[in-house]
Amino acid sequence: MINLIVIAISAIMFALLLVWWRWPAFRAWIETPKYSMLCQERRFDDQ
Amino acid sequence: MTTFAQSLAGGNEQDNTQNLGALPALEYGLIRAHVFASFAGVVISVLFGILVATKFTFPEFLGGHAWLTWGRLRYNHTEGILFGWLGNAFLAFCYYVVPRLANRPVSSHKVGWFLFWIWNFAVVLPGWVLVLAGFGQPLEWAEFPLVVAAFVVLAFILMVFEFVLPFLRARLSDLYVSGWYIIGGIIFTMLAYPVGNLAPQFVPGARGAAFSGLWIHDVVGLFATPFALAIAYYVIPATTRRPIFSHFLSMVGFWVLFFIYPMNGTHHYVYSAIPMAAQKGAIVASAYLGVDVILVVSNLLLSLRGSSGIASKDLPLRFTWFGVISYLVVSLQGSLQSLMPINRFIHFTDWVIGHSHLAMIGFPSFMALGGIAHLWKRIPGTRYNERVMNWSFWLLAVGLTLMVADLTIAGLVEGQVWQSSAPWIDSVRAVRSYWLVRTLSGLPILAGFVLFWTSLVTGPRLSETVTSGNSREASENVGAVENVSPVSDKASWTGWLSHAHVVAFGAGVGFFALSFIVLAIIPGKELEDEIKQAAPVTMATLTASEQRGRVIYGREGCAYCHTEQVRSLAADVRRFGAPTEAWETKYDYPHLWGTRRIGPDLSREFNLHSRDWQLTHLYNPRLVVRDSMMPPYPWFFAGSANQPTQEALDLLAYLESLGRARQLSGFERQALASSVQSGTSDMAMAGEPSGRATPPTVPIAMTGGYSPSAPLLHPASDPDDLQEEVSRGGTVFVANCASCHGAAGRGDGKASASLLPKPADLTAARFSDERLSSVLWNGVAGSAMPPWRQLPTEDLRALFAYIHSLQVADAAPPAQEATSINEGKALFAANCASCHGDTGAGKGPAGGVLAPAPTNFHLKKPTEERAWDVLENGVPGTAMPPWRSQLSADQRRALVEFVRSLYDPPQENSGQ
Repeated sequence: MINLIVIAISAIMFALLLVWWRWPAFRAWIETPKYSMLCQERRFDDQ
Repeated sequence: MTTFAQSLAGGNEQDNTQNLGALPALEYGLIRAHVFASFAGVVISVLFGILVATKFTFPEFLGGHAWLTWGRLRYNHTEGILFGWLGNAFLAFCYYVVPRLANRPVSSHKVGWFLFWIWNFAVVLPGWVLVLAGFGQPLEWAEFPLVVAAFVVLAFILMVFEFVLPFLRARLSDLYVSGWYIIGGIIFTMLAYPVGNLAPQFVPGARGAAFSGLWIHDVVGLFATPFALAIAYYVIPATTRRPIFSHFLSMVGFWVLFFIYPMNGTHHYVYSAIPMAAQKGAIVASAYLGVDVILVVSNLLLSLRGSSGIASKDLPLRFTWFGVISYLVVSLQGSLQSLMPINRFIHFTDWVIGHSHLAMIGFPSFMALGGIAHLWKRIPGTRYNERVMNWSFWLLAVGLTLMVADLTIAGLVEGQVWQSSAPWIDSVRAVRSYWLVRTLSGLPILAGFVLFWTSLVTGPRLSETVTSGNSREASENVGAVENVSPVSDKASWTGWLSHAHVVAFGAGVGFFALSFIVLAIIPGKELEDEIKQAAPVTMATLTASEQRGRVIYGREGCAYCHTEQVRSLAADVRRFGAPTEAWETKYDYPHLWGTRRIGPDLSREFNLHSRDWQLTHLYNPRLVVRDSMMPPYPWFFAGSANQPTQEALDLLAYLESLGRARQLSGFERQALASSVQSGTSDMAMAGEPSGRATPPTVPIAMTGGYSPSAPLLHPASDPDDLQEEVSRGGTVFVANCASCHGAAGRGDGKASASLLPKPADLTAARFSDERLSSVLWNGVAGSAMPPWRQLPTEDLRALFAYIHSLQVADAAPPAQEATSINEGKALFAANCASCHGDTGAGKGPAGGVLAPAPTNFHLKKPTEERAWDVLENGVPGTAMPPWRSQLSADQRRALVEFVRSLYDPPQENSGQ
């Protein structure tokens, strides 16, 4: 069971890395929130 | 789909801003209320901690009052930090950040205030009062009574309504990592908290410990860590005005954290009776977690690249940076601690306490301070005093560093002593100075928190409408935000990607449930089967008195100093006996295994000490153990150790039940027989214990019971060596024996008033080498005299020589009339032989069932005065009655002469 969990988590991590590496659009999508957060922060500061 | 990134990339910021609609309102009143409540909470909690630490050095300090006893204050210290301080601080930050991240206000102003009142006036305050009043429960991080726990759950449900709903109403595909951590922290804590509180109440012993262990770690991993990282991920970009290094890495870190952290809990019970598969799973998960933390910290530190100037000047960022570094150190430390070679040495020691303080102060507390400082200079009307806050930072940083370093070293010292065969009290003596330093290191920490609060209320006064000082900077720097390739609305995969978070969230809940299945339910089933097979059919439940004593034991926090689990380790078994097996905990609701040893393990307490010793020890431990730091419990007595109340008797009954089932079922006798047969003096598990309950194969070193392998000690034959031995023995005697036997060995120590039989007057008899060796090695069954075989051989020899030196030189025996001796012999045969035996060797027909055993006059020669006194008054606390009403003075005098004439030790003083 433990081996299964380790393998599952490792597989998920590698799958994510693979997706990130192979699809630039995924990279752009997943990185979007870090810009939106700053945009929102600026809106509040400008209030 | 249009994202913020696309908006920024489009270049028309005004339009994009308009698309986002009006800014959501923030609950400034609630932010301030929770900030001030958090500082009230932390100051009181740290004061609890300092009182607790002070009692390590001065155990009598505030020791006469039940409400101020060590255990209850200790409960309130940790629960106060968790709920009073961190809970309020995190809530304040949530009210600040959730509307910004969700672009929606929190759900309800009224619910917010209701939550505030619930949190502080139905959880923190009543929790503290109830624990001080004696209603605490002995579950780590769940010490508040169940009635309070119900309000905690209600509070988390309100948090879901208040903070999670706004996120759910927003688009999850745009959700920043801080929002994820807030959602995860609230939901997973809401799920884990009831399990950690309730399961051990209904699932006994080892099975319940498996659940409890999960919550012990979940409180750090699923509550403190997510909120602290939410703050870090927010404060860093908001201060530097640059996006974090990688949102992808932050999300990988987030999910791995929630997948892995729940699996860690069982690493608190390595080498226990919990099935090895669960232990190893927790160890593997702990190692995995270390990798995840490296990932998260790298991402956070890379987010600070090129911002060293800001980090050094901006106080909120400096607090956050310190928290990030602490997170790295404490997490790697945690991963290492779970590894068996390290765990076997440092577990239960102060090392872990240092780790805990770094975990709760260094990491989430510094993050919370950073978050509060950050929001304080951005909400209307509040600013902080930079100079005072700067002092606060350094006081906290220096105090914490000193405390952690001190406790870490103390833990190594304790671990070293525990590996040896030195008496337990030696480990207490060895770290006394470290405990004093720990107490002192708490003072700058307290001052740091007070100054932080001072800095918040002594900042420049601003009107409510003043905007952030960084507003201009924000406008200037926003252009520096990196562009990003817009996501095509036409890309078909974005559809399912937008739901990927939901899928991942479901997976997170699944892993959370899996952690309970893998680490608690499956091992629990295995344990249940094992218990059915192994538990003796004669194993009795606790009596009503023992059950009441168990409740007292729990509410007074005894389990926080005394474990009730002997681990499958050579050092543990040598000291306490065979490893604890699951069936022994069959009736333990909740389990009392404990995760710390300041005092010795108590799972083999049955028959270890006499009742009067136990009561005297409870009344004031230093009456019988001079250097003990255990708190006194005078409120269990009506003025003296001889006058126990029902509560003292209940607690005593419980203590005497510990290990009873095992001994009565014959397990220990099997162990002893096995070791005697094999001739081993050390355990056979010195290689690598399996972690499962290992068949006992060694003599029980510390526990009572006669050991046939007692060595025959002799004083040194060389006068110089003898002098040296006597000198050393005097020191050992004062440290270990004088509290009962008195400084001069006359049996008049402080504890003697409440011990029956009285401690021996060592000047009133001559002991043969064999008798004295046996007493030192085995103790005296039926009396308070414990075995001292765990002392180093040199100390035993020195003690032996010193006790010999106390004995008054026997004057040349007067010529005894044969008629007197014969009369004494006849009287002895008629009145004494049934106990003392025909030859006076203490082996009469009735002697075998008496404890203490009748005196063997061949090995012990009382002085005339002592023998006369015994015949006059008997020996209270033993089977020896007074004979003055049955024998005339002449007859008694004849008996005295006769028993003194029997002294005939073999191989006396051979000098080897």
